Amino acid sequence: MPRLSFQDLIFRLQTFWAEHGCMIETPLDVAVGAGTMHPATFLRVLGPEPWNAGYVQPSRRPADGRYGDNPFRLGKHYQFQVVLKPAPLNVQDLYLDSLRAIGLDLTRHDIRFEEDNWEAPTLGAWGVGWQILLDGMEITQFTYFQQAGGIDLSPISAEITYGLERLTMFLSRRASVYDIEWGAGFGYGPVRKQDEYEFSKYYFETADIDMHWQLFKLYEKEAQHCLDESLVLPAYEWTLKCSHVFNTLDARGAVSVTERVGVMKRVRDLAVRCAHQFLASREALGFPLLNPLGNPPANPLIGERA
Amino acid sequence: MAEYFFELLTEEIPAWMHEAAHAALLQQLTKLTHDLGEPAGDRNPVIVNSTPRRIIFFLSRIPLRENDREEEVKGPPIKAAYDAEGKPTQALNGFLKKNNAAIEDLITGGGDYIRILRQIKGRAAGEILQQRIPQIVESLRWPKMMRWGNGEHSYIRPIHSVVSILDGAHLPITIFGLASATTTVGHRTLAPQRIEVTSYNDYVTKLELNRVVIDAERRRHVMAERARILANEAGGTPAIDASIWSQWQYLTEYPGVVRAEFGGDYLALPEEVLVTVMRVHQKQLPIRTAAGKLTSSFLAVLDNDGDPDGNAAYGNSFVTNARFADAKFFYETDRKRTLESRRDQLSHLQFQEKLGNYLQKTDRIEQIAAAITDDPETLAAARLCKTDLVTEMVKEFTELQGNIGGIYAREEGMPENTWQAVYDHYLPINIDDALPRTRSGAVVSLADKIDTLVGFFLVGARPTGSKDPFALRRAAQGVVQILLNRDKRSVKIGIDKLIDVALQSHEQPSNPATQQLKADLLGFFTERIRTLLEASAYGFAYDEIAAAMEAGWESSLTDLVDRIAAVKAMRNEPNFLSILDSAKRIANITAGQQIAASIDPSKLENAVESRLASLAAVVSTQIEEMIGERDYKRALETFAAMAPELETFFDEVMVMVDDEALRRNRMALLHKIGSAVAGIADVTKIVVDRREYRT
Repeated sequence: MPRLSFQDLIFRLQTFWAEHGCMIETPLDVAVGAGTMHPATFLRVLGPEPWNAGYVQPSRRPADGRYGDNPFRLGKHYQFQVVLKPAPLNVQDLYLDSLRAIGLDLTRHDIRFEEDNWEAPTLGAWGVGWQILLDGMEITQFTYFQQAGGIDLSPISAEITYGLERLTMFLSRRASVYDIEWGAGFGYGPVRKQDEYEFSKYYFETADIDMHWQLFKLYEKEAQHCLDESLVLPAYEWTLKCSHVFNTLDARGAVSVTERVGVMKRVRDLAVRCAHQFLASREALGFPLLNPLGNPPANPLIGERA
Repeated sequence: MAEYFFELLTEEIPAWMHEAAHAALLQQLTKLTHDLGEPAGDRNPVIVNSTPRRIIFFLSRIPLRENDREEEVKGPPIKAAYDAEGKPTQALNGFLKKNNAAIEDLITGGGDYIRILRQIKGRAAGEILQQRIPQIVESLRWPKMMRWGNGEHSYIRPIHSVVSILDGAHLPITIFGLASATTTVGHRTLAPQRIEVTSYNDYVTKLELNRVVIDAERRRHVMAERARILANEAGGTPAIDASIWSQWQYLTEYPGVVRAEFGGDYLALPEEVLVTVMRVHQKQLPIRTAAGKLTSSFLAVLDNDGDPDGNAAYGNSFVTNARFADAKFFYETDRKRTLESRRDQLSHLQFQEKLGNYLQKTDRIEQIAAAITDDPETLAAARLCKTDLVTEMVKEFTELQGNIGGIYAREEGMPENTWQAVYDHYLPINIDDALPRTRSGAVVSLADKIDTLVGFFLVGARPTGSKDPFALRRAAQGVVQILLNRDKRSVKIGIDKLIDVALQSHEQPSNPATQQLKADLLGFFTERIRTLLEASAYGFAYDEIAAAMEAGWESSLTDLVDRIAAVKAMRNEPNFLSILDSAKRIANITAGQQIAASIDPSKLENAVESRLASLAAVVSTQIEEMIGERDYKRALETFAAMAPELETFFDEVMVMVDDEALRRNRMALLHKIGSAVAGIADVTKIVVDRREYRT
């Protein structure tokens, strides 16, 4: 059993996927709930352009905070996200190879793919797939994206999301996330526990509710403004901010059931507009990634570049 | 006879979908073998099976080819087939040549056209299979389909390879554009190599060597045996749980079970929570002692026959402990507040847009319950029954709604009657569910369900066709189940009264609109009552139920059951059959006729008529009394005793006479007799078997 640190695990996954044709992206510098919301997934799965990328994404889920008391749950955890477009037919085998690459002898473990479909109503997105269980423990979410921003996708992308803390805990046989080693002798607990405590207290008890409602409206307005100006990427960032503010209000217990549906719809409307506009903007650019290095096409039949 | 074997290698198919897919395939393939001319035999020649990522089938006895048959082919008109000299024309020669026939082959006699019989050779089985197998496999409908690649096809999961073998040889087919071959692969991680197969038997043997057990039943059996041994070692037995087994057998290709432990401290959490986490969230089987006590050991499925390094035991413990740690957090958070103090929070939880929040719903439940009972313990349960909806535990484990409230009420030291009523008040949900344990629980459940039914009918959200998003049919069925019960939990209230009380709690005045709603809702209940009674252990026939329901059921369902039982008990008595026949005759004669308001004794013309009238007068009074005493059987017997007299009347007295006054008086007499038992049943609805009648 490999005794990997948190960063060892990240390095091995990055290396593995880089060797298998992925561009290693950097985390999005906006608070998001999951790696899926990074434009490298949510926007890139749209349209015909091929895309293979892997990246770490800190994922903030205000309602999951446990003040640093729960050995398994975190208000912010780290995901390693891989998006493969189109999903190669051997994607499950590639995934299993990635587990071998982090040192697992799969003949001595139990690996199962159990149905787990994914749906993100605020993104107008859904997919089907599995949770992947290693010895009974969910370590990865695997999704074949079917729709994003309300748009039927083609080609279909595969999204592979590794839960990094879980995997490290399991591989290093630690019973608490705060006992794992981040790297170079630094422990995850000493590095992150204060963060977990303070943000739990903030999201559950302290966050100014009125201010957050105001922020929501401001962010929403700015997102619409950007969309009206055909600036889809800034618009999408403001949309993500709306989403995080909504999650904060939700954790704070400030969203009633009636409001909830309405607010989610507002975020969804923005995300759907972003998706449509992004697709249109890529089309206007001639879908540049169909020709990933930006060189003139080798095949003259494809046509001369303007 | 030939045999055909097929395997589709896919990615992991959800466990719960396999059995329906088997049934659909079996049906289609049986039809296929039938079409091919499969001779009838004792053994089903079609085998369908599956593993998480393989669908296989085997057709063991199929004819090598279809039967040959003859077909008539029409040629040119006879007039155009021969020239003036009787020689064949160009048209006839062309026709013969095209059909490879000679002039001797022509069918003689009849018709204006040249005809020949063409011999059609039955197609070879392979040719037919090549056409039909892809259709059958591709058209299989799955509950949730996906697209892959460029999204051309929609299926349960992407497909990887197809094996198609007819009598030891490859029979090329394509499934969604993927060409078949004769190779497959072994277990995903234990034996991932490619395997060449030549037949079904060869396939089963080689797959087993490559760590795949093809037969789902066998996988289940292996795991059940292993589970028993492992539980035994831990001093217990695995919980009996068919839903877990039916999932496990499709979660593994190489069946195994592992035993793991969770922290003993967690046994202090409510047992329902522990069991729900294990069963529903982790698909694990709890182990119980002989005395039924939960142990800290449990079982989990493995896609491997063992756990050599203890990894799976560790992993399963790890994840279950993590879940329990969360549950403990929710439990401790929840316990900081009483249920009573959560009632305010219910005002923030919407029940339905137009029906307000859960506090309002709770108030209505309380009001309805108060109309049934003044027992303070029951009313306390009504007051608190929904408070667990705002607990962390129910937010996380929604399937435990009610149970959690009951457990917390128990821990707050409330009377048994109260906490059990909260715990049980969603029951019964399904037709085979137990009823609430106590009468209090039954009352709260009734109040909750009738409030929901009346509420949704008020806002126009009624079930249509197969659409019943708010499970109103189930709610109505639950109401009926509770009201039919006669033991110490029985609640004696009619559905009409329940609806009235619920309408009041919704602050609805009595007006034509609410009367219409009530009529609609009663109609909605009629169906549920009929269905439940037909399926019940009473063994009532459809016509017995219909007859008794016609006499009313709105004020008491147990009374309805008594009346049906009386009808059932009487229906084979010859006298009763005879009077049923008469009652129908009366109904037919009096239908649409002017009937005198009462019988005028001065207009009773002859002795037979007078005798019947005085008999009817006496008998009607007696029957009325018996009905008052709910002695329905005796009432029906008394009714039946009039049969001979009535028959004599029909034999000797003409009803449809021209004298209108006389006719109307006779109608009145017949009507009086006909309606004597109307309070028990509309006996004309009983279907009389003439043969029975004659004996």
